[in-house]
Amino acid sequence: MPARPRWLPAFQAMAWRQLVRFLSARSRVANSLVFPLIWLLFFGLGWSAAFNVLGPAARGIFGGLSYLEFLAPGIVVMTVFTAGFGSGLGIIWDREFGYMKELLVSPAPRGALLLGRLVGDTVAALAQGAVMALLVSAVAGWPGVWGLLGGLAAAAAAALASASLGSLIALSMRSPEGFHMVVNLVMMPMLFISGAFYPVDPLPAWLRMLAYLNPLYYAVDLARGLMYGVHSTPLPLDVAGLAAVTAVAVAAAVARFSRTYIA
Amino acid sequence: MEYAVYAEGLRKSYGGVEALRGVDLHVPRGTVYGLLGPNGAGKTTTMGILVTLIKPSGGRAFVAGYDVVEEPQRVREHIGVVFQEPTVDRDLTAWQNLYIHGRIHDLSRNEIEHRARHVMELVGLEKFLHRRLRSYSGGMIRRFEIARALLTEPEVLFMDEPTVGLDPQARTRVWEVIEELKKTGVTVFLTTHYMEEAERLCDTVAIIDRGVVVAEAPPEELKARLGGDTLYLKTASPAEARRLLKLAAGYGDARLAEDGVTVVLVARDAPRLLPTLLQEARATGVSVIESRYVRPSLNDVFLMLTGRSLRDEEGGWSDWMRLHMRARR
Ligand SMILES: Nc1ncnc2c1ncn2[C@@H]1O[C@H](COP(=O)(O)OP(=O)(O)O)[C@@H](O)[C@H]1O
Ligand SMILES: [Mg+2]
Repeated sequence: MPARPRWLPAFQAMAWRQLVRFLSARSRVANSLVFPLIWLLFFGLGWSAAFNVLGPAARGIFGGLSYLEFLAPGIVVMTVFTAGFGSGLGIIWDREFGYMKELLVSPAPRGALLLGRLVGDTVAALAQGAVMALLVSAVAGWPGVWGLLGGLAAAAAAALASASLGSLIALSMRSPEGFHMVVNLVMMPMLFISGAFYPVDPLPAWLRMLAYLNPLYYAVDLARGLMYGVHSTPLPLDVAGLAAVTAVAVAAAVARFSRTYIA
Repeated sequence: MEYAVYAEGLRKSYGGVEALRGVDLHVPRGTVYGLLGPNGAGKTTTMGILVTLIKPSGGRAFVAGYDVVEEPQRVREHIGVVFQEPTVDRDLTAWQNLYIHGRIHDLSRNEIEHRARHVMELVGLEKFLHRRLRSYSGGMIRRFEIARALLTEPEVLFMDEPTVGLDPQARTRVWEVIEELKKTGVTVFLTTHYMEEAERLCDTVAIIDRGVVVAEAPPEELKARLGGDTLYLKTASPAEARRLLKLAAGYGDARLAEDGVTVVLVARDAPRLLPTLLQEARATGVSVIESRYVRPSLNDVFLMLTGRSLRDEEGGWSDWMRLHMRARR
C-alpha cells in the first residue's frame, strides 16, 4: 500500500505552497498587522491612561501587571489568531478559482493536504505574530527571550486552532459572504471572552464556562504567564486545555475535508 | 477489465432535476473517446463522476479497472484531469504549480524536474516555465493544464470541453497536442459540444442528450447510419432529369428535387460514385450541368437521433455567457 509514504510529500507541498503565497502577498501581511496595532495603541494606551487615575490600585485588577503588560500577550495571540482564520479564506478562494478541484482529484490523503495547508498558514501567521511580539515588547516591556518564544508558542497553537476553525467554516459554507458572516460571528465573541482585554476571573460563571471552551483563553493565559509571569489558570492546565481544544478543531476540519465532494 | 472507462446506468439527480438518466460508456484502452452533446446534456456531470468528484445517485463506473465509488483513491492514482474551468494557482509560476502537482501525486523532485520539461515542450510552453500563470492567456492556461495532467503519465486523461472559449488558433494548438497524445497510447476521454472537434479527434463518439447516451460508435459509423452522402446532379431539362433519376436509382435512394431538373441521390462513397455516374449519364445522352455532394456531419447524426441541431448551441448565448463569466474572474 503506497498510501503511507504519500502523506509526507503532500503535506510538505501544501505547507510550502501556503508559505510561497504568503511571501508573495506582502500587502496582505502588512494589513493583518494594522488591526492589532490599532488595538494596542488606542485601546491599550487609552485604557492605560484611564487606569493610571487609580494609581497603583489598578495593578490589583490585572494581577500586578500594568494594563499594557496585561494587554500585550493578548495582542500577540490575537494577531496570530485572526491571521489563522485567513486559512479558511484561502479555501474559499481555492474553491472560487477552481484550484480546490486540482487538490480533490489528487490521490494524496485529504488529511495531509489539509494539515499541510494549516501548518503552512500557521507558520505564516506566526511570522506576523513575531513582528507584533517585538512591537508590543517595545511598548509594554521586554519579556525576555524565553518569555517571547513561550508567548509565540502559545500563539502558534491558537493559530492552528483558528486555521482549523476557519477551514471547517469555509468547507461548510457555499459562498464567501456566508464565510465572512460566520467568521465574524465566531471570531468576535472568541476574542472578547479570551481574557485578552480584561481578566476572566471576575466574570459570571456562565461566561467563564464559555471562556474555558475557547482555545484563545488558554493561549492568552499561557502567553501572559510565560511573558510576564501572571496567569489565572495553572500553566499545565493551560497547555492541556489549549492542546485539547486545538486537537478537536484540527480533527473536525480534517474529518470534514475527507468527506468533501464537489456534488 | 478491457476498458479504460466503463460505465453502466449512471444516474445523478440534483434535488428534483435528473442530470443523468442512465449513462453507459465503453472506452477501449489507448483510444480517444468523445462525449458529444449540447450544453446541459450532462457531460460535466458524467466526467465529474468518472474522476471521483461527484457521487452518482445510481449505476456503476470503472476507470482504469477501479470502481469510482468503492476505490476513488485508486482511480485518482491513474488519471489526469483537465476540468472545464481553469484549476490552477495563478499566483504561482507554472513550475510551482507543476511541483505541487507532482508532490501530491507522489513524484520525487527529480522526476518532476525531468518530466516538467518534457510535458511543457509537448504543449509548446517550455519558454514560460518560470512565469506566473497570471501572465498566461486563456489558451496557454488550457495547454498548461494539459501538460500538468500529463506530468504523472496517467493511464486515462480526462478533458472537459478542452477548447471552449479559445480563439481558433489556440483551439488548433490544443487539437494538435491531443493528436500528438494519440501516438503515446494514453486513453483520452474528452467532452465537447463542437462536432468538428469530435470528428477530427475521436476514435469513438458517444452522443449524449438530456442525460442519456443515444449512440456510441466511431464517427464514420455514426454517419453511415444516415445512409451515406447526398449527391446533387443538375440537368438541362426535366426530361433528362427523369432519365438520370432512373439511372441513379440503381445506386441508392434517389428522388427529384423541387426544381424538377435536379436529381438528389443518397448513396455511399460519393467521391468515387460521382465520376462513374457522370460517365454513365454522358453515355445515355444526359448532360449534367452542375454536380456536387455533401458528406453528412455528426450534426446530421445528432439531428436524426434527437430531432434537434447541435449547431444551435455553437457560438450561442451560453458560450458567450461562459466566456464572460470566466473573463470576470
Ligand atoms: N450542482 C448542480 N446543481 C443543480 N443542477 C446541476 C448541477 N450541476 C449540473 N446541473 C444540471 O445538470 C444538467 C447537466 O449539467 P452538465 O453536466 O453541466 O451539462 P454539460 O456539461 O453537458 O453542459 C444541467 O441541466 C444542469 O443545469
Ligand atoms: Mg459542461
